[in-house]
Amino acid sequence: MAKKILVMDDDPTIVDYLVDLFKDNGYETCFAYNATEGFEALKNEKPDLITLDLDMPEVAGPLFYIRYTKIEEFKNIPVIVISGLHVPHRSIKKVVAALEKPIDREELLGIVRNTIGEGSSD
Amino acid sequence: MLVDDEEDIRDVLDISLSDLGYKVFTAKNGEEAFQIFRNVNPPIVLTDIRMPIMDGIELLQKIKKENTDTEVIMITGHGDMDLAIKSLKYEATDFITKPINDEVLGFALERAHERISMRQRIREYTENLEEMVREKSARLVEVERLIAVGQVIEGLSSATRNIAEDFEGGITYFNELPCLVSIHNRDLEVVATNQLYKERLGDKIGCNSWDAYKEGAGRSAKCPVGKTFHTGKGQRSKETIQDVNGKEVPVIVHTAPIRSGESDVELVLEISADITEMNRLQEELRTTQQRYQQLFDEVPCYISVQDGKLKLVATNRQFKEDFGDEIGSYCYSVYKHRNEPCPDCPVVKTFESGESQQSETVVTSKTGEQYNVLTWTAPIRKADGEITQVMEMSTNITQIRRLQDHLSSLGLLIGSVSHGIKGIMTGLDGGMYWLDTGMEKGNQERIEKGWDVIKLMVGRLKNMVLNLLYYAKERDLSWKRTDVLSLAKDVASTVEPKIKGYSIEFIHDFDRSIGKFEVDTSVVSSALINILENAMDACIEDKSKKSHKIIFSVTQDKDHIVFDIHDNGMGMDRETRENIFTLFFSSKGSKGTGLGLFVSNKIIQQHGGSIKVDSTPGQGSHFNIRMPKVLPDILKNKVNKNAQSLTIE
Repeated sequence: MAKKILVMDDDPTIVDYLVDLFKDNGYETCFAYNATEGFEALKNEKPDLITLDLDMPEVAGPLFYIRYTKIEEFKNIPVIVISGLHVPHRSIKKVVAALEKPIDREELLGIVRNTIGEGSSD
Repeated sequence: MLVDDEEDIRDVLDISLSDLGYKVFTAKNGEEAFQIFRNVNPPIVLTDIRMPIMDGIELLQKIKKENTDTEVIMITGHGDMDLAIKSLKYEATDFITKPINDEVLGFALERAHERISMRQRIREYTENLEEMVREKSARLVEVERLIAVGQVIEGLSSATRNIAEDFEGGITYFNELPCLVSIHNRDLEVVATNQLYKERLGDKIGCNSWDAYKEGAGRSAKCPVGKTFHTGKGQRSKETIQDVNGKEVPVIVHTAPIRSGESDVELVLEISADITEMNRLQEELRTTQQRYQQLFDEVPCYISVQDGKLKLVATNRQFKEDFGDEIGSYCYSVYKHRNEPCPDCPVVKTFESGESQQSETVVTSKTGEQYNVLTWTAPIRKADGEITQVMEMSTNITQIRRLQDHLSSLGLLIGSVSHGIKGIMTGLDGGMYWLDTGMEKGNQERIEKGWDVIKLMVGRLKNMVLNLLYYAKERDLSWKRTDVLSLAKDVASTVEPKIKGYSIEFIHDFDRSIGKFEVDTSVVSSALINILENAMDACIEDKSKKSHKIIFSVTQDKDHIVFDIHDNGMGMDRETRENIFTLFFSSKGSKGTGLGLFVSNKIIQQHGGSIKVDSTPGQGSHFNIRMPKVLPDILKNKVNKNAQSLTIE
């Protein structure tokens, strides 16, 4: 079964872009524009990986990370930070990688492959 | 009292209750029970719920109405839980279920007893309390009365003592006065004088009352003192006296009769004020005042003196220049255009603490300009130390603040802009990705999507750069009289395709007879477009409603053109609403630079207009923009000459 990636960013264009990019490379996707939707997606979609924007309104990325890693069921889901900010390493400890916008497409796909494996080719 | 329609139960319970030491009255239904209740008023009632004629619940209500203190215990069958709960609602003490267990009955009765005795104790205590209060207050009133009587006696006796004291002692009070004070007796002899009198006129004690006067009508028994004894009334006249050196001194003489216990005038007080001396003092006072006034007026601060109600008692020239001559108005209405005192008012604090305060605030001048001011306050005290007024000095530090704002915002600018640009670049990456893969796969839809995103991102970039340019350079208004309707139409047609592209309904409602106003068209258009685009973003972001609409209307009142922009998008919480016009504040995450509304607001303010915002999270927002039809002169004066030459109509 194809691995699933949860894309979190408050900018719909960026979400749209990453979703298409992952789909084109054989991954299933789901997305969330904010932390509330993020938790919904965690529960309903059971993703294998999260890409997380740090600068989101209301509940920002780091806080979302801290909250979901407190939940036993989700705490081992790997996260890739994709943000316009310099990544604060201290707040997000177990990050797989931190990419600064604009991102290098191949670099991102490489990291995803190393973390959850190749997407299914259809 | 025991109420049950079944005879067996009545009998069994009667025996149990009698064993427990109760005197029992029985009844077979509510109606009968209520009759008995009225006659014997039993403290405890034990009643079944289901009974013919009048059931237990109705009985309970009636009893409680009659005497709320009665403890009513309900007996319920199995499965009557609803009724039991209902009865508790009508203040039944307790309920027990059938078949009745003696032990349970015992507990229920015990609880009823506890409540009865508790209530009794509380009542006793309350009654005691009332009694105590009555006693105490009666004693207090008595004490007060004694004190009052004591005070009156004290007052009277001290008054008598004062009268009895010799006038030598009394006259020393007058030594401080810059006047000649003397006391005269019925024989028209001087009996006491103050220090100044002695110095200026010599020791006149024992002389005739008129002795000090120059030759003339005054120098006889018809002198002011004589007239006072004669008429019993105080006199006022101009006289001339001769001092020890023979110099003639013009004086104003006041006399006042001093009466003994009866109505007879016993002594006369004469006070003569040296007119030349008074003139000299007045002159001195005037120059001092003038010097202060000059200082008051010329210092480069706004100075006001305020009374306890924050009314302006005095203001300096600088204050009058920028805020108007508003003596008698309230400080907060002149400085802040408010209807009530400002929170944390330094003047109020000074009145309270007697200490001087410092604070920084923004005030609005009579022409609508905002100034940052640093404020000091100082109490003004009467001789006895009571603070009657507070002086407030405010230094205009707008220039300094502007410079600081500019510097600190430059730092912010770099961070905010680079952040915004990163978002835009990522979006551009996305657009290019769709274009590339769309072309590879021959997918037209993808190509179009990519192209749209690129257009959107370029649009954002353009806005950002324009805002930056506007921010970086202070720009004069280049205004001309412009048709409001055509400006509104231009604005609407610019945003309409975008708004409709997101399936948002766009309604315009323009007053067709609206005419012209004085405006810098290009900047005001961009401000309105910015606000409309924000409304659009608020609708796009709002996922809670199926359909969205934006209403753009233009109306007028006497002196103003009013633009209203309503949307039913995501709305704003209070903090967001209060900060939207702050530089680099953005609620849009990576999409906003925090420049847009800051610049829009600045543009509208530059025209002497205002933006008001209403918003409810989840429901939408309303921007109300008021702009003067005719630009205030002070704003026009800042306009560059080229622009003015264009305005000849």
